[in-house]
Amino acid sequence: MEHFSKENQPVYLFIVGLLAWLVPGAGHFFIKEGKRAAIIFVTITLTFAAGLYIGSIGVIDPVGATPWYVYGAQLISSPVVLLLGHISAGGGYPVYGWPNEIGQIYTTTAGLLNLLCIINALYLAHLRSTEIAGE
Amino acid sequence: MPLKTLFIIAAFKAPEPLATNPKLMLWLLPLAAAIAVIYKATKMPKITAVAFFKETVLLFGSIVVFIIVTALVLFAVVWLMAL
Repeated sequence: MEHFSKENQPVYLFIVGLLAWLVPGAGHFFIKEGKRAAIIFVTITLTFAAGLYIGSIGVIDPVGATPWYVYGAQLISSPVVLLLGHISAGGGYPVYGWPNEIGQIYTTTAGLLNLLCIINALYLAHLRSTEIAGE
Repeated sequence: MPLKTLFIIAAFKAPEPLATNPKLMLWLLPLAAAIAVIYKATKMPKITAVAFFKETVLLFGSIVVFIIVTALVLFAVVWLMAL
């Protein structure tokens, strides 16, 4: 934060938010919250990976029968979802029934939890920047 | 590429066979644990190992107990309606 002046605060917050989306926990790591970053990275990655393990990469379906908000929530976990969606878009990995339901719930929840973490990273970054500006 | 790695990658290309039985409900436990961990990671002002573990276990227990109570209430409602 020392490198960012008060005028550059929006840029600083944008970088924190972008990092938090690119890699879960990276936003917290950037603002020197290492413990939180590690916890967030491990938990969200494991939750997302568990969803993919249960339902296969077929649970990420940007063009199929999946409701748009499910894909939207999955997308919040990481841009990796875009790549996985591109791979599974052809319908080569069909998945039905409980594996589909549980896989979607896990991957969607991972995305929504990452949204909470992105907002929290932005909030902490905002607090830090206003504290430094007020010194 | 080692055979073990290939098996792990292959596991993500085919869904796990899940039968419809009461054990299926156990899949909510890892999800409740993930929610408790992330919630506490964002809410605790300072993270220390013991306090974080204690708070997370407490929240995880609360979620599970609340789910069980809700299930029992719903079961009772259905049972009363069936009388």
